[in-house]
Amino acid sequence: MPRTPHASPQTLRLFEALMKDPTTWRYGYDLSRETGLASGTLYPILMRLTEQSLLEAGWEPSDQPGRPPRHTYRLTGDGVALARVRLADAAAKAAARRGTSLAIVRPA
Amino acid sequence: MRRVLYRILKIAVGGRPWGEAVLAEFDQTSGSGEALRWTAGGLWVAARERPVAYGVALAAVLLAVTTSFSFSVWYVPSNAMTPTLAVTSHHLVDRIGYRVTGVDHGDIVALPIPDAPAHETLLRVIGLPGDHIECRDGKVLRGGTALDEPYLSFESQVVGTECAPVTVPDGAVYVLGDSRPVAQDSRHWGLISADDVTGRLVV
Repeated sequence: MPRTPHASPQTLRLFEALMKDPTTWRYGYDLSRETGLASGTLYPILMRLTEQSLLEAGWEPSDQPGRPPRHTYRLTGDGVALARVRLADAAAKAAARRGTSLAIVRPA
Repeated sequence: MRRVLYRILKIAVGGRPWGEAVLAEFDQTSGSGEALRWTAGGLWVAARERPVAYGVALAAVLLAVTTSFSFSVWYVPSNAMTPTLAVTSHHLVDRIGYRVTGVDHGDIVALPIPDAPAHETLLRVIGLPGDHIECRDGKVLRGGTALDEPYLSFESQVVGTECAPVTVPDGAVYVLGDSRPVAQDSRHWGLISADDVTGRLVV
């Protein structure tokens, strides 16, 4: 069975964070704090999503002079649609798992 | 510490966009621990952005580390192997390869001196498991056939080699120095355990 793309627990955590308000531009550091993902995990996911046009990235000039511009991210329309599907799938799977474990604990 | 990490990351990303993106967030981290984790992730991102450059760099580091374990420079302290190896000359000894390929007749191998195990010596492999070694009329015979030993010094050829006959059992080697009149080798120590061999001469 082929692997479903963009369905890893780490990607789902990122989707969750981005879906709180899909229209705002987010910083990498804040996403890292919110998802608990290290930069070495988070950025490769951001790279992958951007390559596939699921995420758009922009450079925002820093508010402090002399500081480098910061990279910002938000989901594209396709990204939002995919994130919805993936999060719904994950929720359904989790519900199914709870259902089976209940059935084992308390047989009908 | 933070300044050092920032410098390292800046050099590593080398202007690539995703590396620069990680670098631009560096200011947001607080404390050395978080900065270190952020930098480590940033290096990984930089490596993914430039796989060839980082592949080459990694290969170079691995090569440097493994070579330092697999080869060593040998200084010849005695004239046991004269004239093949002159006293005080330097040679390269392979510490790993012979374990894979095994040793062969004529190989020059390194082994600790049985009487003084802290020191190593280089000697030539004459007998391998199954070989019957004996000496007759100053010649070394292996399996009843006299060996052609062009590497011996004129003096060694004139004086000849005397040894007690022996059949080499499994897991042992019979070694002789090329300078037969002076070398200490299997004629005095007997068979050497193959496990005691620590290297093989390359050049």
